[in-house]
Amino acid sequence: MASTSNTLLLLHSGLSHNQSPLLLRQISGTSLTFSPDRFLPPLSHPCRRTGVPVITCTAGTPVAANLAPGTPVRATSIMVIGATGTLGRQVVRRALDEGYDVRCLVRPRPAPADFLRDWGATVVNGDLTKPETIPATLVGVHTIIDCATGRPEEPIKTVDWEGKVALIQCAKAMGIQKYVFFSIHNCDKHPEVPLMEIKYCTEKYLQESGINHVVIRLCGFMQGLIGQYAVPILEEKSVWGTDAPTRIAYMDTQDIARLTFIAIRSENVNGKLLTFAGPRAWTTQEVITLCERLAGQDANVTTVPVSVLKFTRQLTRCFEWTNDVADRLAFSEILTSDTVFSVPMNETYELLGVDQKDILTLEKYLQDYFTNILKKLKDLKAQSKQSDFYI
Amino acid sequence: MTTAAAAALPAGGFGCGKVKISNDFGGLNGFSSWSGAANHHHQPCRRLMISSSRASSPPSPPPPPTPPTDDEDEKEEVEGKVSVMKRLVDANPVGLGRRSRQIFDEAWRKFSELGQISRTTRTNDESILLIQEGGPMCEFAIPGAQNTTVLVIGATSRVGRIVVRKLMLRGYSVKALVRNADQQVVDMLPTSVKIVVGDVGDPATLRDAVEGCNKIIYCATARSSITVDLNRVDHQGVYNLSKAFQDYNNKLAQLRAGKSSKSKLLLAKFKSADSLNEWEVRKGTYFQDTVAAKYDGGMDAKFEFSESGDAVFSGYVFTRGGYVELSTKLSLPLGSTLDRYEGLVLSVGGNGRSYVLILEAGGDTTQSSLYFSRFSTKVGFCRVRVPFTSFRPVNPADPPLDPFLVHTLTIRFEPRRQRAAEGPVGTNQDLRSFKLKLEYIKALPTGQETDFILVSCTGSGIETSRREQVLRAKKAGEDSLRRSGLGYTIIRPGPLMEEPGGQRALIFDQGNRISQGISCADVADICVKALHDSTARNKSFDVCYEYVAEPGKELYELVAHLPDKANNYLTPALSALEKNT
Repeated sequence: MASTSNTLLLLHSGLSHNQSPLLLRQISGTSLTFSPDRFLPPLSHPCRRTGVPVITCTAGTPVAANLAPGTPVRATSIMVIGATGTLGRQVVRRALDEGYDVRCLVRPRPAPADFLRDWGATVVNGDLTKPETIPATLVGVHTIIDCATGRPEEPIKTVDWEGKVALIQCAKAMGIQKYVFFSIHNCDKHPEVPLMEIKYCTEKYLQESGINHVVIRLCGFMQGLIGQYAVPILEEKSVWGTDAPTRIAYMDTQDIARLTFIAIRSENVNGKLLTFAGPRAWTTQEVITLCERLAGQDANVTTVPVSVLKFTRQLTRCFEWTNDVADRLAFSEILTSDTVFSVPMNETYELLGVDQKDILTLEKYLQDYFTNILKKLKDLKAQSKQSDFYI
Repeated sequence: MTTAAAAALPAGGFGCGKVKISNDFGGLNGFSSWSGAANHHHQPCRRLMISSSRASSPPSPPPPPTPPTDDEDEKEEVEGKVSVMKRLVDANPVGLGRRSRQIFDEAWRKFSELGQISRTTRTNDESILLIQEGGPMCEFAIPGAQNTTVLVIGATSRVGRIVVRKLMLRGYSVKALVRNADQQVVDMLPTSVKIVVGDVGDPATLRDAVEGCNKIIYCATARSSITVDLNRVDHQGVYNLSKAFQDYNNKLAQLRAGKSSKSKLLLAKFKSADSLNEWEVRKGTYFQDTVAAKYDGGMDAKFEFSESGDAVFSGYVFTRGGYVELSTKLSLPLGSTLDRYEGLVLSVGGNGRSYVLILEAGGDTTQSSLYFSRFSTKVGFCRVRVPFTSFRPVNPADPPLDPFLVHTLTIRFEPRRQRAAEGPVGTNQDLRSFKLKLEYIKALPTGQETDFILVSCTGSGIETSRREQVLRAKKAGEDSLRRSGLGYTIIRPGPLMEEPGGQRALIFDQGNRISQGISCADVADICVKALHDSTARNKSFDVCYEYVAEPGKELYELVAHLPDKANNYLTPALSALEKNT
């Protein structure tokens, strides 16, 4: 581990981030490919875990960036990781509208993310799970905004932990001047949930790395509610809910993006941990009731007791091949407690200079959605229906 | 619902083959209409998206088009077939398996979602989110953006780049004029931008560029300060483009045979002796001074159709304070009102005299009030534009002119305030006589919005040695745009800075008082906002950041506007500024 750290230190001081990508690729080929077990801090599996893992940043002590001569990187040049996601795309749009030059790291895939290019962002191909693809994409980037999370169908660890560690190391080595990381609220309090544990470890890792950074913890996205509740209610399908008393302060991703950019630009937020929460915390039942009222029709609610979820999780954990599923169900642990995923925002508003009345409330958001969608449905009513196709 | 979905499946899966067979049999054509009938009898379920949670499923052919069932008998027959088919499908092990998988998958997806809090993105959510982004839910979307095509000149410049992105986010169709479409340039522009190859210095190439465009944003600037270059881009370029655009608009107006919103409204045409009948010649004096009138030479005027084919209004006024006028009641074509127009254009041949145009408005329910505007003529024929905004009420207490209420038009000659026209030297002109040939009077159509946005510069931040040259070219360009007759907005930003927009308050000003810089993104934002802002039409203004005084040294409070896409800072800022400067 020590040898790697030395290499990276060397790499860092010897490189200015505007050197040619070719050179970087060569270097990264030799030094930045590492195997997780040798390089990564041990991430304990939830069931084996005892206490907080010891994490040390192996990317070396902070050195003043930009030692080498060269044209300075423009502060308007940003890189968005996870730009195709719910939050990422709003971040990209906001950034473009504010006049940033946006680069998006997306995985090479047959159907490229054309909408990003259509808005005027530059799309570069790279994959966090393949660290050797990262350095070339970071040339000339001032700020990294990391909104990435692994897809539900893939194991959490590869993107969210190994990929992120590689990215932070690379950012550090290339003198990226700011790193914005989106985490989950209360992730330090629930180490039994793998994703939250990983997010917390990444936060720690980022702090240790010495990069200029901002960590933003989020509670829940309003946009997620559309697919989960609003659409099934409109389609007259059954809505699944739990009887959990957990409350979540949902927030509009557009607001999150707006606040994020204010935070990026303000100097006194540097290195801080911010938590963004919506104006009010809601339980699942309350959200469903609200949707029903706005849609003007009753939902066909299937309530699943939390105990069933927990039992399923225990069951799926018994088998190797269902471990991913178990990880995903891990949030049920939180659901049993009547945790409130919310935080008073007054201080944050003050810090960022934002007016509370500019933050969208869930009532307003859903009301806008239903008004628009019901109008649109009226127009589309005669159109043909298409259903899931299964072969 | 479940039955409908199950019954509909074969139509999607292997319906094509069966439809073909049924076509062969002729009598079985009910089958092809069967899925339509199924829809008919069950409550159709509303789908917002095509869910594709199973990545492995190959794309299925869409259900065959369903001819509508004609009569009741056929429908019943169809219904019978439906039940048969349903039983068949139920018995089919493949169908059963498919159904059970579908149900299980859906249930499992929902179930596992319950265990999550923040991981809400699924692949099949994307279509929903995209609905939002294209539709009215999108925070950027602007009504009217959908039908607007904007031509951006200088799309790869510092301002232009951001302008293009902002336009794309707001749902405009964007055309970009580039000099050569090589890969590097193409990569800089969003994929949906239509690229036109051309050069503003070459009028022939601009004809294609303006095709189908509603608006133009001009952010190109010369790359060097060589006079030729400056002249080509900053002056001739603007001239060529405004001309091409005006030509295109005129062509559209012609195609629509005068019914286009761009065509002028004919108020009067003097082409025959009959056309003079509506007009009435009147005499009057401003003050009743009987003594003076007795000794003055009097006045006379006539309006007649001359042998050479001109309508001539001529006469003399020797009376002090006297005037003669030619007046008519306006008869507008049905359905058109003058509020859609922004001024009058007169084609007249004067002899260098100035005349007063008087409009009478109101009168039915309220007191009729008079508004006047003075225009001068040249020797020989000329076209005079008189904007409605230049009319002032005769009685200062009257409200400003509302073109909608205008019913009477008067041309008045008075010997006061006449200046000798430039004529042959030595001819003795009597300023109290006049002769005005009239050809036509038309109303100029108004545009609510600006057609052409020009990003010019204030000149600060340019090297002193070059400033003069640059400003001269820019000024000439601005002037040619103002004269083009297009609705224009000229933005003169302070020195451009590359930083994110929306950070600092902006100051809008007319007259060279700009000292601060401004971010490119803010200039781009002003361009995009001005597209649909009626207050931005026909205005030229300087804009820069608010001057931030050192603490304790503030001399006065500045009224400035913090730009954000949510607030409309532009309208209040611009409404205070003068038009047509």
